[in-house]
Amino acid sequence: MIKYISKIAVLLILVVFTACEDSFLSPDPTGAITSESFFSDDSELEAGLINMYDGIQGINSTDTDDNHGVMYEFYVTEMRSDNTRTKGSEGEDAQFDTFTVEATNGRLADYYASCYNVIYRANLVLDKLDAASEGARGAFEGEAKFVRAYTYFNLVRLFGDVPLVDKEISVSDGEISYTRVATATIYDLIESDLQTAIANLDNSYKGRASKAAAQALLAKVYLTQGENYVLAQGLCEDVMSSGYSLEGNFKDIFYNELNNEIIFAIEYIGDVVDDSQNFSSEWLNSVGRTSGVNYVTADVREALDAMGGNRTMYSYRQDATQTEQYQVVKYLPNGDESLGILPTSSDPTKAGNDWIVLRYADVLLMHVEAIMAGASETSNSAAISSFMEVRDRAGITDNVTTITKVDLLNERRVEFAFENQRFFDLVRLGMAEEVLSAFSTETGGSFSSTDLLLPIPQREINLSNGLLTQNPGY
Amino acid sequence: MKNNILNLKLNQSSVWKMLILVLAVSFTACDFEYDLPDADSKADGTPPSALFTYAQGQGSAEEWKDYTFSNLSNSATDYVWDFGDGNTSTEKDGKNTYAGEGSFTVTLTSSDKLGVTSSYSETIEIIEPEEPLAIVPVILEASFEDLSLPDGNGDGRDSWRNDFGGVIQITNDPVQDGSQAAKFPSAGDRVAYQDGIAVTPNTDYILTYYYTMKEGTPGSLTVKVLGGTITDLSEADAAKLGEYVGTDISDSSTYVKVSIPFNTGVNETVAIMVTNEDVECRVDTFEIEVAPEN
Repeated sequence: MIKYISKIAVLLILVVFTACEDSFLSPDPTGAITSESFFSDDSELEAGLINMYDGIQGINSTDTDDNHGVMYEFYVTEMRSDNTRTKGSEGEDAQFDTFTVEATNGRLADYYASCYNVIYRANLVLDKLDAASEGARGAFEGEAKFVRAYTYFNLVRLFGDVPLVDKEISVSDGEISYTRVATATIYDLIESDLQTAIANLDNSYKGRASKAAAQALLAKVYLTQGENYVLAQGLCEDVMSSGYSLEGNFKDIFYNELNNEIIFAIEYIGDVVDDSQNFSSEWLNSVGRTSGVNYVTADVREALDAMGGNRTMYSYRQDATQTEQYQVVKYLPNGDESLGILPTSSDPTKAGNDWIVLRYADVLLMHVEAIMAGASETSNSAAISSFMEVRDRAGITDNVTTITKVDLLNERRVEFAFENQRFFDLVRLGMAEEVLSAFSTETGGSFSSTDLLLPIPQREINLSNGLLTQNPGY
Repeated sequence: MKNNILNLKLNQSSVWKMLILVLAVSFTACDFEYDLPDADSKADGTPPSALFTYAQGQGSAEEWKDYTFSNLSNSATDYVWDFGDGNTSTEKDGKNTYAGEGSFTVTLTSSDKLGVTSSYSETIEIIEPEEPLAIVPVILEASFEDLSLPDGNGDGRDSWRNDFGGVIQITNDPVQDGSQAAKFPSAGDRVAYQDGIAVTPNTDYILTYYYTMKEGTPGSLTVKVLGGTITDLSEADAAKLGEYVGTDISDSSTYVKVSIPFNTGVNETVAIMVTNEDVECRVDTFEIEVAPEN
């Protein structure tokens, strides 16, 4: 036997060496799907589009390693405003209440990673557009670019300068992943993406991108930058003549899903693990994983009581088990009999309430803001008519002759309370420092102007080998 | 028993000697002076860097004098603001109300607990904002006079030519002002159209003009103000901001004044279009002025 060993060895070596052809060490997988080989026709590209919305939906889990997408957006937006706070002021969630967010905060890292994951999914489709049929390519491009613009718009407003990824990248592209690009350059991409979306899309969907959604978002992009007010006004007027209308009853906006007021919503399906959401249960008393977050502040209750009209009862309610605390009504997973609201799922942690991104009332109030054009007030009749339309639905019918910027901000606050608009509204209308520093002083927080931008997550900075810089104040 | 052992040990002279030695060493050790590092012997690894941005207050009253300063300093713990008008502050974010217009150099000095400082200055020019004035629109050949274009040329109707209908005629009598007016024969196949008239969006304006008609024959003269530019007559109604249909056939030699109020809405330019039906008409002296505040 021993004499054969050398021969066997030689044979083995030969086999090993001859086997070293490309396809042996990296064969094309036949039992699995890769992004390289997957996108070959329209239906597969459409699956790629749905995959983007799946990324925005996030994963319904309590695992801190998962991306929770828009489910965790309230932490970085509404909880940093004067509208909501944690119930028990405990843990890293309370950092948002007191303007003491640290770069190591897990919710922060989750939201940041979710955003770039969605951008990756959009870029994946955009890089494979050649596989689309002639007739479908334009709409696919528009839809992917809408989602990319929507995501960058959130990133740039929350973090300031951020890395700009506009194509599929790999681990070796560290320089792209970790080089912060000026806000103005990010806005250039957002605007051009939305213009493509407007040109290529129609208004077939509410749970996916549409022309009206892109127009409304672009209007908000212009207003946020404080420029192109006339273009923003025109975009709003285009949406206003596209067949959308205010839902008659304020409650139905949230509990009659995909109603005529909805322009763009992230859809969820109750009790389906992969398509349900858990933020609704987190906003209740120990129904979700937390003891209760996004609880209603006294500050916003005062505003809603004074200015909410018939919106107030469908905006917040008393916590039945801790009566000094108040909860959000707009997205209840398990219903409320006294308000005539039915559960959206049998398991509240697998809720079916959609997340509304853009609705018609937002367009009407953006129309007012565009006409105001950075001034402190307007008495323009078109602006007043849009403003009154929103108030009429709320049952507030007194005649308005002049709208000041503060009127507009207050109206937006009570109309969109707990819809993740408040923080952005304060910043966009130039009132954030004044309002939030007063609120923070009153509630024992430590607001300073650098809190208007979130820190870049420490995990990203650590991975970047010194490329990624931190925002001031962190 | 314990005491006995202790006594036994203490009585041993070698122990005493050792004890004395230890004491001596420990006392002399106290005379050692370990030099603390001198100040600045090690560089401040993260020196402060001062930076700020600022914003002017907004509002219709005196808010323009209020400035808020956002502190963007890094690695600093203490701050001194000098607002350039004698006011100072040691808050993190600065806030100052200036007495009035002027040029002020604002300096932020940021320091850390090692006493390392960094300064950043910026000069702000404070000017009371003026009420933005609405554009006063200019209508070319508004009275249909020869050689009245800005370059001194024109036949009185060059600015009104278009593809929507035949070119208008020019009449010398009667006129409202100057020596010429526009004439629309009764066939109604002529159209006057001028676009690109610059206006301020969302502003109330009033278009005025004068017209007269041949006596006796019923008919109409329609003047429309359109938002933006149209490329086909069918777009006119959708773009319409204001309109007047004149039907006064009482006296062909007396011009009637018409005012059409309109709001420009989202438009940065407007167009004027004139058409007639069934009766010979004359039109003169177009003008657009900003509507007075009500």
